[in-house]
Amino acid sequence: MTPVTAPDDMNTTMTTETTDRSDLSATTLRDNAEVAAALGRRYEAGFVTDIETDYLPAGLSEDIVRQLSALKKEPEWMTEWRLKAYRHWLTMPTPDWAKLKLAPIDYQSISYYAAPKSGPKSLDEVDPKLLETYDKLGVPLHERAKLAGVAVDAVFDSVSVGTTFRKELAEAGVIFCSMSEAIREHPELVQKYLGSVVPTGDNFFAALNSAVFSDGSFVFVPKGVRCPMELSTYFRINAINTGQFERTLIVCEDDAYVSYLEGCTAPMRDENQLHAAVVELVALERAQIKYSTVQNWYPGDENGVGGIYNFVTKRGDCRGNDSKISWTQVETGSAITWKYPSCVLRGDRSVGEFYSVALTHHRQQADTGTKMIHIGKGTKSKIVSKGISAGRSNNSYRGLVKVEKGAEGARNYTQCDSLLIGKKCGAHTFPYMEVKNPTAIVEHEATTSKISDDQLFYCRSRGIGEEDAVSMIVDGFCKQVFRELPMEFAVEAKKLLEVSLEGAVG
Amino acid sequence: MSEPQRTPFVDSQLEAAAQARLPGSSIGWLQAARRENLDAFAASGLPDTRMEAWKYTALRALGQRHFASGDEQAASRAVDASAFALPGIDGPALVFVNGVFRADLSRIDALPAGLDLQPLSQALQGDAEPLRFALSRHYREGGDVFARLNAALAGDGVVLRVAAGAKIAQPVHLLFIGAPGEVDLAWHVRHVIELGEDAELSLIEHHASSGDQQHLGTQVADIVLRKGARLRQVTLQDAATGSTLVRHDSVQLDAQAQASLYVLELGGALVRHDLHANLAGDRSRLETRGVFVLGGRQHVDTQMAIRHQALNTSSESVWRGVADQRSRGVFRGAIVVAEGADGSDASLSSKNLLLSGQAEIDTKPELEIYADEVKASHGATVGQLDERSLFYLRSRGIPLAEARSMLTAAFCRAVFEPLPEEGLREHLYHQLMAHLPSA
Repeated sequence: MTPVTAPDDMNTTMTTETTDRSDLSATTLRDNAEVAAALGRRYEAGFVTDIETDYLPAGLSEDIVRQLSALKKEPEWMTEWRLKAYRHWLTMPTPDWAKLKLAPIDYQSISYYAAPKSGPKSLDEVDPKLLETYDKLGVPLHERAKLAGVAVDAVFDSVSVGTTFRKELAEAGVIFCSMSEAIREHPELVQKYLGSVVPTGDNFFAALNSAVFSDGSFVFVPKGVRCPMELSTYFRINAINTGQFERTLIVCEDDAYVSYLEGCTAPMRDENQLHAAVVELVALERAQIKYSTVQNWYPGDENGVGGIYNFVTKRGDCRGNDSKISWTQVETGSAITWKYPSCVLRGDRSVGEFYSVALTHHRQQADTGTKMIHIGKGTKSKIVSKGISAGRSNNSYRGLVKVEKGAEGARNYTQCDSLLIGKKCGAHTFPYMEVKNPTAIVEHEATTSKISDDQLFYCRSRGIGEEDAVSMIVDGFCKQVFRELPMEFAVEAKKLLEVSLEGAVG
Repeated sequence: MSEPQRTPFVDSQLEAAAQARLPGSSIGWLQAARRENLDAFAASGLPDTRMEAWKYTALRALGQRHFASGDEQAASRAVDASAFALPGIDGPALVFVNGVFRADLSRIDALPAGLDLQPLSQALQGDAEPLRFALSRHYREGGDVFARLNAALAGDGVVLRVAAGAKIAQPVHLLFIGAPGEVDLAWHVRHVIELGEDAELSLIEHHASSGDQQHLGTQVADIVLRKGARLRQVTLQDAATGSTLVRHDSVQLDAQAQASLYVLELGGALVRHDLHANLAGDRSRLETRGVFVLGGRQHVDTQMAIRHQALNTSSESVWRGVADQRSRGVFRGAIVVAEGADGSDASLSSKNLLLSGQAEIDTKPELEIYADEVKASHGATVGQLDERSLFYLRSRGIPLAEARSMLTAAFCRAVFEPLPEEGLREHLYHQLMAHLPSA
């Protein structure tokens, strides 16, 4: 092979990726045309001799899992862990309980370790619609190019930024690296925590992810450390321009704190690509984890062609007393979103929070919500979910609040509001409340309405255009969630909503 | 999916079906419908908790039980129906003992004009054609297992029609008495109720028992309200503490029809109530108000689904639940606003008191909205009695147990406040209080 193997020195400049995957990216970065040619060749010719080494053929089998593990130079225990998950996955039926219309997925037609089918060679080739979108988002040119999957020099800046970032983190004692690296360099931590929150057999997509996850991030904040900066996976996902099956593990030891941002703003042009990630959070005594997501995967076009299937398992375990896990999510992308970031409130007085804005437009479908499992005494949880449906989309909130027998004095408050824009969309609410402790107080409130004509009229009469008025009202509707987001993210989220709602009115 | 297991329950019912001598057996379409539903019942067996509609109600124990088919002595059992008389209710009454119509206990001799009221067994001897639509229903939903069983085995029930424009002043009392027998019995009643255009009716569905027994009763009711009709129905469920009762009500409201449904669930060991309402006509209006008060090991599961299918329809639902000791209360209240049902206004409130560490409340309000000119909201809470209110009462010399009962009763009372029949309302309060521990 092959034009796609990177020389070793490239690896050192990449921060978090040391896998063969990232080698590919590195090469892509260095010599875009060369790679594009290689990719193009593969696309045209179907098969090239180098397939076995850098790309796994489509399909899933024990062999593929072994090859994937070998490619990533993983230790024996990791390979076994993956195989165990794979064998369990084989026994599981595809879940069908969500309120989603989706064609059966052919798991044998997916390549579990593959590059995008084609990448644009330069900005000129990028869909002008995308560029327009980035313009609106205010993403600078080099960033824009990066998002579109075009490698330019500027990417190196972001890599070096990453490097300095890491140095400061290391001084604080925080480990922040890719999952592949963590498996090699911190096997004891990975072995201890990986799969301890979301077991390999937890659900269909988690089992699949456990078998074939390609990468992800690993964060470990030791005792008493307050992570000096907000950690982000934004750049990383873009750098490797992939992430079909990521696996994220965040562990906060006693009294530690971390705020983690996940930005999935990399659009993918492939049709109905499957994205099945698993995120595990572990908070020990008095630890706090804040996890924010702005998800804007490619949602498919107006007619529902293409787009990402975003089937994600996210769960936080408040293992220690007085610990706290807070999920904030802004979901505007994906053809189908199917995820329930959850909190297991095991420790006494632990706190779980879930703030969500989910916007669907055109033919998008979202079935999202949370689970709050109260086990410890005096545990508290708060759920604020805002769903916005436009076009012909369907948006469901599905949540479970469960209070176990021992959860003395548990307290939950849930508020979920839906906003309908247009006649053809749907907004649904399915909250489950299961209470076994008589000292618990659980409250749920939900409303569904359209944007009120009064509000619109008020804005219009003051000279505000209809579209601006709608986005103002929507912004107000989502405020409660946006203020939980870190500042830059909140700005981005707000703009994302504006962009996503374009053409929804009138 | 694995093959359903043949449980003793399913076997005993299939055996019962083989021996049953049901009225109307010469009617071809009826026999065909019975056969189809029986086959579906045999094929599906009892659902397990993996089925969403039965998520919180396990039928494993029921599956192990045998129930004899019908009560041969039902016609001769000594039952004092006057013990179940309701204050102020002295109009037409149909009384069933273990699912069998008892003419001697009923009052149907002087029916008011416009009211046609007779037991199903009798209606099937005449022209059964008007019943064909309701009785040929095939229950295809996986969770409707007891409706299938009922459709296959029901030999009696109520056929009630109110002529267009007729306003029936006196409430109609339907009384279902479970009487102790030699063995555990299964009985099935099937009702077909129709109110013609602009007709008005007040109906009382009353489940009671004349002694301890562990029978299984199933009831399927089809209620149709034609344009502008008004129905008020009060269900007082005070079945024997050991009994199993499964009710499946479908209510259809045509344009401008109005229904107010009140439910008080007090008795039974295992009680399941499916209530499906369909607001099919423009400007139809539905109100449901219900309370369950549970103790012991009672398990009561209410599954309500309201479907708004027409313009400017409205529904309001107010439900309260109390679970004490080792009981479990389950409530699902789903509101669906179909595409095009603009102007729908739907609200639902489910508030629950959990009074014991061994009790459990599972509540699930749902909204499914496909139209945008809509106001829909729901709220649900699970909590306990307010400590300060308890303290206040106790500081005035009221013992703890009594104070708890007073507060619990107050929590439930509001539900029946709009009920116009005062005597009946007081009776419901009284029953409710009597059911609370140490009142």
